[in-house]
Amino acid sequence: MSAALPPAAAAPQGNGLTELLGGLLPDGLPFWALALTGAVVSFAIIFAFIAVLAMFATWLERKVAGHIQVRYGPMRTGAWHGWAQALADGVKLLIKEDLVLTSADKPLFKLAPMVVLSTALAAFVALPFGPNAIVADLDLGIYFIIAISSITTFGVIMAGWGSNNKWSLYGAMREAAQVASYEIPLGLSLMMPVMYFGSLSLNHAGAMQSGWYGMHWYVFSDAFWIAIPSFALFFTAALAETKRAPFDLPESESELVAGFHTEYSGIRFAFFFMEEYAAMYLMSAVGTALWFGAWNFPGLSLLEGTVLHAPLAVAAFVTKSLLLVFVMMWVRWTVPRIRIDQVMALGYKYLTPLCLLMILLAASWEWVKAIAFGA
Amino acid sequence: MATLQEPAAPASDRSYWGNVWHAVKSTAVGMGITFRYLWTKPFTTQYPDERLPVDGRYRGIHYLEQDLCIYCQACAKACPVDCIDMGAQRHGKELEWEFFSIDYQKCMFCELCVYPCPKDCIHMGEQYSLVTEDKSDFLLELTSWQGLTEEQKLRIAEAEAAKAAKKAAAAKAKAAKEAAEAAAEPAEPEEGKE
Ligand code: SF4
Ligand code: SF4
Repeated sequence: MSAALPPAAAAPQGNGLTELLGGLLPDGLPFWALALTGAVVSFAIIFAFIAVLAMFATWLERKVAGHIQVRYGPMRTGAWHGWAQALADGVKLLIKEDLVLTSADKPLFKLAPMVVLSTALAAFVALPFGPNAIVADLDLGIYFIIAISSITTFGVIMAGWGSNNKWSLYGAMREAAQVASYEIPLGLSLMMPVMYFGSLSLNHAGAMQSGWYGMHWYVFSDAFWIAIPSFALFFTAALAETKRAPFDLPESESELVAGFHTEYSGIRFAFFFMEEYAAMYLMSAVGTALWFGAWNFPGLSLLEGTVLHAPLAVAAFVTKSLLLVFVMMWVRWTVPRIRIDQVMALGYKYLTPLCLLMILLAASWEWVKAIAFGA
Repeated sequence: MATLQEPAAPASDRSYWGNVWHAVKSTAVGMGITFRYLWTKPFTTQYPDERLPVDGRYRGIHYLEQDLCIYCQACAKACPVDCIDMGAQRHGKELEWEFFSIDYQKCMFCELCVYPCPKDCIHMGEQYSLVTEDKSDFLLELTSWQGLTEEQKLRIAEAEAAKAAKKAAAAKAKAAKEAAEAAAEPAEPEEGKE
């Protein structure tokens, strides 16, 4: 560390990564260099993670879709159950021609996929993969994720408007209407765990659930009767927020061709695709961190202090999140797409009031606990 | 003129909580069903590696019992698109096949070639996929003929020998006759020409 600047830990943007890098890199590096290196490294890690995740998730989605419809799904690419299908698709998307319509609004058209993907990437910054495996342990982690993930909508609207295509514009408008109305229940449904943990930090929520030998998850806590319905509300709102079926109206293939990304091809389309799976994973990870004990599982506390602790914690977190991603796919292949008026009715008439009711119950329960046990 | 009207909202006699309960229950039931299907054995087959058996009446690529075929050309004449072609050498009763081909670029699997066959030796088979990168691969050789067997060769040789012997005998007889006629002398000189 340079003598003139305070050490990284005390600097406003300091995090675990900059501390770690500060130990590895030579002393005397200015803080901005450290922060920049940290940013590049964390970007590389998150981007690699999302790329692998998107590939795995597309393969899994097609497998789940196939088996639910009593067929196989991809089988031929790669030796085992078509595992290389996603790789082949990725290569195909990379080498496809990058078409930009002459009638399109070019700056918007080109910027939209970047906005969409970068917001999804940015939200991963606040995800706790393990006790200390977090890029930036924000005090307002949940708030940050909700805020940044709703910026995706801007990208989608830019794509829809910039494409100069009526289907795209319809899709973008639906997205705007849908996301604007489901932001409310999504934010409200997150308030129940926030009230329980007394913190907006996901890392803190994870640490709070490590009791009972790793089983003190929010869904198993004394407030389980609030946790379970609130998770259902959160999950429904998250499905709408990530444009997943049965709320995939922005891209509903049967009526809007492909909605807002109708005119996109090649790598730009791949960006939208990656964003969809990144957003699914993000919502599942938030659900895991708040309701399903984050990285905790029985027996993890026994490994405290060993080398296995951190990798196993990360593995547990990723596995749990992927299970929720699987549930999202399972819902997609079960429930048919609902109409736009039904989407609106569900958001405004059901989810929002029910969330408010749950908040009232959760707040009363905390109050009762405080009075009864003097917590 | 009919005016556009808002379609009446479908009447629902369920209450608010009834709707919530209904949504939760129907989703849960549906997901139970799809979860069961997720683990059932897929109904489909891995097509090019694994093929479902076709029905007996199926009209696929022909198969020919060439040992029975008598090179009568009836099938080739019956074919409306003239896609059957064959060639063979006759050695008395034995046939030495050169080729028997069907051009599957033209064949429409109408089965008309099957009916006229006097020996009932051409059939519609069960093979159906002709996937190839080269058009000339569609000209399929149906020849299952393995070449002349020893027995056939022997019979051909015998037949040939018999023929040669007959010829020789005929020549000999002719020579003898001529000799006899020559001996019978110039009484009728013109008859020697016959
Ligand atoms: S099936 Fe019909 S078209 Fe094909 S070879 Fe026989 S007669 Fe000709
Ligand atoms: S009709 Fe039958 S016997 Fe005659 S040439 Fe065709 S296949 Fe041979």
